Amino acid sequence: MQSIGIMQSHWAEENLQTIRILMERSAVYRRALAPIMLITGGIGTAATVVGLAGHFDSVIKFCAFWLCVALVSVAGALLVVRRQAGKDGESFWSPPTRRVSQALLPPLFGGMVIGLICMVTGRGDPIYLPSLWALFYGCALHSAGFFMQRGMKWFGWIFILGSCLSAYISLTFGQEMHGLAHWLMGVLFGGLHLFYGGYLYLTEKKNPVA
Amino acid sequence: MNPEPFLQLDRLIHEKGRLAIMSMLAASPELSFTELRDSLGMTDGNLTTHIRTLQQEGYISVAKTYQNNRPLTTCSLTASGRKAFTGYINLLEQIVRQNKSK
Repeated sequence: MQSIGIMQSHWAEENLQTIRILMERSAVYRRALAPIMLITGGIGTAATVVGLAGHFDSVIKFCAFWLCVALVSVAGALLVVRRQAGKDGESFWSPPTRRVSQALLPPLFGGMVIGLICMVTGRGDPIYLPSLWALFYGCALHSAGFFMQRGMKWFGWIFILGSCLSAYISLTFGQEMHGLAHWLMGVLFGGLHLFYGGYLYLTEKKNPVA
Repeated sequence: MNPEPFLQLDRLIHEKGRLAIMSMLAASPELSFTELRDSLGMTDGNLTTHIRTLQQEGYISVAKTYQNNRPLTTCSLTASGRKAFTGYINLLEQIVRQNKSK
């Protein structure tokens, strides 16, 4: 009689675990991230080239330029999400999309406001902005990672570590290398997105996001 | 009522496929047919049968709309479905607790 009770208990525990996993999966954002990452990375890389060629070196020009790039990237990502949702016959502003947006918003808003303050006042050195923005962005990705799959939290950590490394490079070589701020933006926001997008692209087909 | 919690489990939810559907819907206000199908790896026919069974019992509601000129079927848990699911979870937890206290 006792063994039946133990069996039932094990079965109940396993069932509860399965239910928990399914509930977590249901609340997770499921859009394919590879195209979003590749587009964002592509825009970031192209913007680096334009920024270097255009000599947007003053803090006002630097902030204005990269804030515009950020807006274009966000618009591009939203277009991809909307297209995917339309293709799957699902609503664009779904509960998971809403949760991810809410998680992303506070750090992104903070980064944007700091950029605007620098742009309006014309004070500060652009060399420190890539680290600061990467830090905010890493925190945003990490928060969103709680509602996403595919290692988004790790990607957030990579940005946070990248921001630390970028701060070190800025402090050490900032005054010597011309255009270093654009290079850092390119590596962080262009290179990392392209790398992660490529990784997702290669692995998503084998393990489709459920 | 049977005092044995195991025997009190709702037989309708107890089935593997239907339990999975109920679990997914319990964590989301609504899910589309395609989301459920892709997440659970079910065939269209299998999912339709389970959804119909749950709908007939009044556990889930199904809404058919159009989005971008394409039909969109969404499912959500009804109040009685949520109550039945909560009751099912409570019974499972009771089974686990009972065995631990022995």
